[in-house]
Amino acid sequence: MPLGILLVLVIGGIAGITLMMHLAGKSRITQLTPDSAKAAWLRHVPGDEVVDVTITNDGHTALIRTPAGNGLVWSFGADTVARHLLDFDRLDRAEGFEIRFHDFATPKVLIRLDDFERQHWQNLMEPV
Amino acid sequence: MTDQVTFPDAVQWAVPFFIAAILAEFLWIAAKGRGGRYETRDAVTSLIMGAGNITSGLLLGFIAYAFFMWLWQVTPLNLGTSIPVIILCFVLDDLRYYWVHRFGHRIRWVWASHVNHHSSQHYNLTTALRQTWTYTFTFMMVVRAPLILLGFHPAMVLFVGGLNLIYQFWIHTEAIGKMPRWFEAVMNTPSHHRAHHGRNARYLDCNYAGVFIIWDKMFGTFVPEQEDDRVDFGLVHNIGTFNPLRVAFHEWVGIWRDATQPGLSLRQRMAYCFAPPGYSHDGSRDNSDQIKAKHIALHPEDRGTPGFERFQPEAPNSEAKQA
Repeated sequence: MPLGILLVLVIGGIAGITLMMHLAGKSRITQLTPDSAKAAWLRHVPGDEVVDVTITNDGHTALIRTPAGNGLVWSFGADTVARHLLDFDRLDRAEGFEIRFHDFATPKVLIRLDDFERQHWQNLMEPV
Repeated sequence: MTDQVTFPDAVQWAVPFFIAAILAEFLWIAAKGRGGRYETRDAVTSLIMGAGNITSGLLLGFIAYAFFMWLWQVTPLNLGTSIPVIILCFVLDDLRYYWVHRFGHRIRWVWASHVNHHSSQHYNLTTALRQTWTYTFTFMMVVRAPLILLGFHPAMVLFVGGLNLIYQFWIHTEAIGKMPRWFEAVMNTPSHHRAHHGRNARYLDCNYAGVFIIWDKMFGTFVPEQEDDRVDFGLVHNIGTFNPLRVAFHEWVGIWRDATQPGLSLRQRMAYCFAPPGYSHDGSRDNSDQIKAKHIALHPEDRGTPGFERFQPEAPNSEAKQA
């Protein structure tokens, strides 16, 4: 196939499919509830014991407390990703906290917090 | 031995079909309200990975082709390009695919290239296009050497490899449940390949087939999709990025970081490169065997079921035996 035609097909195809999905509402980010956040955590860490779940007001991030320590679950498109809070940096941002995981595959997550939540989350995330 | 055998680049010619099929699947799911899920950024990442795969083939394909043409110079055999030879080549190349794919899940160096194909938590036709950019660096082209040394022309071997990939495109869907029994028995199908993409303990390291599922049945890696254990798509530790560069290279970066840690022995460094994914020198990670064992500890009722055959049901205690 001539390279020019291949390029048009690939670029046009990607652009067209992207636009179609976005217009069809497929860019929505999943909303977490206490139950769904707990389920998402157990999907990541089968058999773990969840002591408590705290969800941000925007419903996109949950702090999971377990006997072994804290973890985060967050919305990742229509799905979720979860990580233990073991090796990370917490940076203050205007929107909330940015968590950097020192992991090339999961570099960071922004926890969006309003003014009322910020102090509470800071307390929750402090090492015991 | 030189000649001017040419075959079309089947994958490039299939691009319009790929686009049309994705549109059809998307509209079918939207109309029926079942049969899979689409998410914009996930799909775009997959499509960009597919475009990158074609690009890497254009940029790096000459390395494998030069190797194959060197083998073609060496071999005294030439089976020609008749239809039966092409069919035989297709079947043998599918056996080659099975083993490369199995290596891709059991050797971290090869997994670093293949992992991106499993990095989506979705399973739709765009997932099929989420392909590697770094296959050349796995050196798995050597597994094709026997075919060429047997007298199959390199152009033919690459052609049937392209057909193999095109076949595998349509099986990346939840829109198709099960095919007729005879087809499920012989061919790789959406059901079999869904199981392959599962991150459930049951489905780890199964169903490596490309076109013919018989290879998995022959080599003991077949696990049928279970109605009571719905496939959970993705990686054991799902990645948190849609960035195609991170998707393409994250496991290579992981290998580098792991193997260059201070204080390791040479054997440990090599194991981080070539042992099954999940190896760690300090036991801080689990490989698939350990994940299955942990699952059985939590769910002993799954002993002996598909995917857990090596964990046989516990024998009755000695008193019961005597009774």
